[in-house]
Amino acid sequence: MNEFKKQEALENIELIKELVLQTKKNIGHYGGGWICFIWGIFSFTGVAGQRLLIPHGPLIGVWWIALSVVAGYATYLVSRHYAKTQPVQKGHGNMRYFLLFWIPLLLLGYTLAAFIGSTPSLPAEYISLSILLVVSTGYLIIGFTFFKGILYMGIIGYVGSIISAIYFLEYSDIILGILFGTGLIITGFVINKQWKNI
Amino acid sequence: MEEHIAIKLNKAIHQKARLGIMSILMASEEVDFNYLKDRLKLTDGNLSSHLSLLEKEKYIKIKKIFVKKKPKTLFKISDMGRQAFAEYLENLEKIIRSTP
Repeated sequence: MNEFKKQEALENIELIKELVLQTKKNIGHYGGGWICFIWGIFSFTGVAGQRLLIPHGPLIGVWWIALSVVAGYATYLVSRHYAKTQPVQKGHGNMRYFLLFWIPLLLLGYTLAAFIGSTPSLPAEYISLSILLVVSTGYLIIGFTFFKGILYMGIIGYVGSIISAIYFLEYSDIILGILFGTGLIITGFVINKQWKNI
Repeated sequence: MEEHIAIKLNKAIHQKARLGIMSILMASEEVDFNYLKDRLKLTDGNLSSHLSLLEKEKYIKIKKIFVKKKPKTLFKISDMGRQAFAEYLENLEKIIRSTP
């Protein structure tokens, strides 16, 4: 009888530990790490595709937009999945992560549209630089407003864009793509590790 | 040995589903019905009956809100519930310590 009670007590303590830990982990976890991975891959793939499409000019714009749609949809799926694991689903919890990744995306779309529509004479080598400057501005705004960690992405973007423009203009898209992609993937690892360590 | 036999566990908490509910509520400020249902893998009816019992004991507080025009029920642990849960944990520890 006593052995049974002890066994049951141990099992109950284990159950309590598991549920408390799981709930604490779920609180505020909107899959930010995975979303960073998506955009990191987006950055690598985007630049690689852009390089391959250089001979086909206007297709570069289409390529970025198509890729943005795919990455945006993947972001939406991840956010939706993690929103379901929240103890209270009030419908606006993932606004921070929405802003974190969608503002740069919207800025990117806007800039692309502006370049395609109103500045067709802009030299091709400046397009990616300009886009990345706008994206960096987005990250800076978000960094100051919501999430300090992403501030570094904005600073890296600005510094990288300026250095690339001055010294490596020809390869600026590759340099910035790798810089952004790696930065986002590292941020993703950091965010995921933080949640695992709770 | 005598001490162990004398330990009485709170019946309102000493049941897998209710223990699960109380544990989750201890870790979170507020929790909604669906979260509890998903985590504890209970049916609506089963979960409702356990929640009613805990409410009757005044261990939990229930709040109804509207999210996007849909009703949502939120649950929160009360001070009494917190105290009862702490005592329950203490008793579990006593059982473990008193049994070789």
